[in-house]
Amino acid sequence: MQHLVRILIAAAALALLASCAATGENTGQEQTATGVPDATAQPGVTGQSEQEVYSYPYGQAPSLDTYDTFDTSGGGATTAYAGGQPDQAVAGTSGGVASADRIVYFSYDSTNIVPESRTIIENNARSLTKNPQIITQLEGHTDERGSREYNIALGERRANAVRQTMIAMGVSPQQIRVVSFGEERPAAAGHDERSYALNRRVEIIY
Amino acid sequence: MKVIKRITWLAVLLASVFSLATAYAQINLDITKGVGGNGIPIAVMPFEGRAPENIASIVAADLKGTGKFAPQPSTSRADYAVVGQAAPGGSRGYIVRFQLTGAQGGQLLNLSFDVPTNQLRAVAHRISDLIYEKLTNEKGLAGTRIAYVALGRGAYYLVVSDADGQNPQVILRSRQPIMSPAWSPDGSRLAYVSFEGRRAQIIVQDVYTGARRSVSAAPGINGAPSWSPDGRRLVFTLSQDGNPEIYALDLGSQYPVRLTSSSSIDTEAVWLPDGSIVFTSDRGGSPQLYRIGPGGGSPQRLTFQGSYNARPTVSPDGRYIAMVHQRGGRFYIAVLDLKTRQFRVLTSGGLDESPSFAPDGKTIIYSNGRGVATVSVDGGASREIALRGNARDAAWAPYGR
Repeated sequence: MQHLVRILIAAAALALLASCAATGENTGQEQTATGVPDATAQPGVTGQSEQEVYSYPYGQAPSLDTYDTFDTSGGGATTAYAGGQPDQAVAGTSGGVASADRIVYFSYDSTNIVPESRTIIENNARSLTKNPQIITQLEGHTDERGSREYNIALGERRANAVRQTMIAMGVSPQQIRVVSFGEERPAAAGHDERSYALNRRVEIIY
Repeated sequence: MKVIKRITWLAVLLASVFSLATAYAQINLDITKGVGGNGIPIAVMPFEGRAPENIASIVAADLKGTGKFAPQPSTSRADYAVVGQAAPGGSRGYIVRFQLTGAQGGQLLNLSFDVPTNQLRAVAHRISDLIYEKLTNEKGLAGTRIAYVALGRGAYYLVVSDADGQNPQVILRSRQPIMSPAWSPDGSRLAYVSFEGRRAQIIVQDVYTGARRSVSAAPGINGAPSWSPDGRRLVFTLSQDGNPEIYALDLGSQYPVRLTSSSSIDTEAVWLPDGSIVFTSDRGGSPQLYRIGPGGGSPQRLTFQGSYNARPTVSPDGRYIAMVHQRGGRFYIAVLDLKTRQFRVLTSGGLDESPSFAPDGKTIIYSNGRGVATVSVDGGASREIALRGNARDAAWAPYGR
């Protein structure tokens, strides 16, 4: 791929100050006269040690047919999912990164933190106050119903609800980052109430 | 002998029933001609010559897809006929010719193209649009493109394909989600949300070079980009001040200007041709659409039907706003006519979302949870586009390139 514009992002673990490497064979990126930085990566969090983004010029870009796409339902020539745990192997699901003691679940259309979740938040808040050098990323998620971008906003509301609770428990705001994935990274791929309940969540990531 | 007599009778009876049915079909055809139903009968004959693409079948599929034509295998029942040739030759690889004739034999179009092999499909779409424009006096969509997000194992793809879903090219591949592609008015750039680095940022990518530029990477949400009609500014959503607000960014500048101010969610802004901006806000307690002037100001509420209207998309002439509408727990695509204030639900509902107007101002593409479909603004039948990879978040490119 001669014209491949390749951006290799090696995201460092944990520390916010860690710098990231944005390298490539040929970035081909616009020199921005305005000083707005090119696409760069932020430090990631544990478990996401390396991320890759590739862009291609239209006209010379690879066909989607050359990739192993994931199709949960019909609609034309599709590649059926062949074995393995779909929830773990497919982009768009979080792959069960966070363990149960780091997930806060929510009711439909709600940002209320139920008593059971309070214990989970408390335990995490305790380790954060004990280790002020540690940064956590609170990742808000919704189920798939409704508008995608509006769900980004709802997911952030959930993450902020956990953030506020942590701050009330004594965690420094500087230790908390918030990001919402909306419905883009479901934990369960189904289109039923059970999956929806698993997807309405905030993951506490270190 | 008796048996034979009976069979003859039956045959006569059957024949009369068939001819009656045919006559009925003929009448029915005349009535529904051009307004949904069966459409205008047009014979698209196989193109002569050896070409690696079946041009006639692409043209027939395009015309059928408009809902206004009923392609026929022979000229006997057709009002119009398309005949053509596609053979090696010319300076670029292939010469493609076609003629459109009326039932009375009059020639309506007679054109030829000199193209390389990889443009045969594009030429077929061009022929479809030329025929469509000649017979309906409206611009066709066959030669336009769509962008959408597809899902793979361990990857998200930003894809640009022909309007019929063919020729799907991956212009971006990422391990993290990609969202909300939006075409610049000249069709040369796409703005979208990327979660590379596990955080949200808004990227503008040049479609034809692949060059990317991050135009916003503020803390929190960087979402829902939309272009100004002149292509020089973007509106998008940032939550850097604590909750989602609408911002406008001059692409020649570094600093976005905030246009809204409320403690609620303000997001999904789109520009109208007159410079005003429509967006989703739950400032009234439920998500509804509001409108502000080019520089912000006091929002005017536009939707009052039900408790959920979000994700507006505006027709190029500014007359219609399509949106996601919820009632009874199901999500639909609905449209508001800004001229008559009429509100209409267009789809049968379920998980419908992410509507985007085609440049003809009449067709809307949207996701339905299974894939991507189109529906017409006057409530015509919904039609699924065959796309791989759980396609979603489709955006229809403007006319042109």
